[in-house]
Amino acid sequence: MAEHLIEALTYPPIQRAAIACVLCGASCSLLSVFVVLMKMPLIGVSMSHAAFAGAVLGLLLDFNPFLSGFILCLLVAGVLGPLSDRTDMSPENMLGIMFSFLMGLAFLGMGILTRTKAGALNLMWGSLLSLSRSDIWVLMFITSVLVLFVFLFFKEIRSVMFNRRLAAASGVPERMIYYALLFLTGAVVSSNLATVGGLLIFALLVQPGATALQLTYNLKHFFLISAASGIGACVSGLVVSYIFDLPSGASVVLMATAIFAASYVFSPKRRLAKLKGSDTFHENDAR
Amino acid sequence: MNEHIIELNGITVRKAKDLLLDGISLGVSRNEFVGIIGPNGAGKTTLLNVIAGLERFEGTLGLFGRQESWRRCRETRLRVGYVPQLFQIDPAFPILVAEAVMTGAIGRLGLFRSPGRQERENAMRLMEMMRLAHLAERPLGQLSGGERQKVSLARAILQQPDILLMDEPTANLDIAVQKEVLNLIDEIHKQEALTFLFVTHDFNMLPSAMQRAVLLDHGKKVFDGDIDTALSGDTLSRLFRYPLETFERNGRRFVSYG
Repeated sequence: MAEHLIEALTYPPIQRAAIACVLCGASCSLLSVFVVLMKMPLIGVSMSHAAFAGAVLGLLLDFNPFLSGFILCLLVAGVLGPLSDRTDMSPENMLGIMFSFLMGLAFLGMGILTRTKAGALNLMWGSLLSLSRSDIWVLMFITSVLVLFVFLFFKEIRSVMFNRRLAAASGVPERMIYYALLFLTGAVVSSNLATVGGLLIFALLVQPGATALQLTYNLKHFFLISAASGIGACVSGLVVSYIFDLPSGASVVLMATAIFAASYVFSPKRRLAKLKGSDTFHENDAR
Repeated sequence: MNEHIIELNGITVRKAKDLLLDGISLGVSRNEFVGIIGPNGAGKTTLLNVIAGLERFEGTLGLFGRQESWRRCRETRLRVGYVPQLFQIDPAFPILVAEAVMTGAIGRLGLFRSPGRQERENAMRLMEMMRLAHLAERPLGQLSGGERQKVSLARAILQQPDILLMDEPTANLDIAVQKEVLNLIDEIHKQEALTFLFVTHDFNMLPSAMQRAVLLDHGKKVFDGDIDTALSGDTLSRLFRYPLETFERNGRRFVSYG
């Protein structure tokens, strides 16, 4: 089996798929730390649908779909930022409206696409084996920018994730960090349309962060565990899809779910909370 | 002449059709300890948010002798500390007590600079003062409400502000913890040369350092004067639309709810 896998890695499309898996896992899982800790999964889902809708519109207008996906992501980020700061509108409702609007836009584009819909379906589910060299370079560049952002602004990021208003009041450039995050979400999501696709990417924007949340109280470890679980899900999903001849995007997402489930079952934080809960119960019982 | 460190003139805040603050004018001198008192919906928190630069407003606001809008420069923000009401935090959130206190130093450090020995020593000194040092390595979400409020206080002081805004810092805490937090606030007032604005609606839990009270009702200032006059049965009964009486014990004035 191992020999068979090593032999497969000698083929350039498989090599590119393997590299893309690692980059996709790393970039999505770093973002998922923000999505999970800042409680913004709806922003993640809106951005992934923006990338998908933009790419479908790109196909419709004979424009590079990944570039059009990225442009629509940036536009949505530019709208979501100020709208989520408004206090006269519930952010959940506003994001729900945005998400359904973008979904409608994507399906409208698919409906009026006169030529084959295979390209659009690839954007939805991803197609790891048909990645080009330039796709890999773009992914590599965006992942590097994201890693650099986390590395350079780690203390500001911690402060903003802890409490955005307190960070703003105490002179931390909270808006710069928040908007940079939105734009990076757009870039990561649109560059990963070709790997896991616009619909399934949402799983990778939540599950690695949710996995790390079960395992550590240390933010540095949180980023590392999240990245390891994202890369692990992507690579193991690719291997499973290769061995059992299954769709790669779906395999990746199912592996991510399995990793999260294992972390939930074996979570030391949950065990600790349970122990503390039972201590409290006994204390109250004794009174 | 006593120069005001905070100078509000005709401050008005609107949200949709609601008027949250209606033409508030107020001057606060350096090192003053001012209570902002009023019923729910009086505009107390909105007033603090205006001064903290977290709320858009009409009118003019002067801080440290400079006109400020709600968007303000980092230097001014650094000089205004903020202790919010007790807020919920996910018990699983990955931040330790010492790290939460240290977030108070991030704005002052600026970009691309990590906290050094000085910041860590200051944070430890404050945690010792707040009796939090033994909890430094504990996850913040595992602390009690009172302990988390003390972390908020330490975090705000670490910022080294000139003005400290406190929004009902003792709300939702049990009586013994409220008293402990109030004693700490009095201690900070003695040790640090700070100007305090303290929002509350609990007249029986006031820091002894509070010299002056501003009473708000429906976004309007209805009284501004010394704390003893503010805590008179007539004034408070009118403000809260409920018969209240005051009495003195051990040189302090208390309010009876009848």
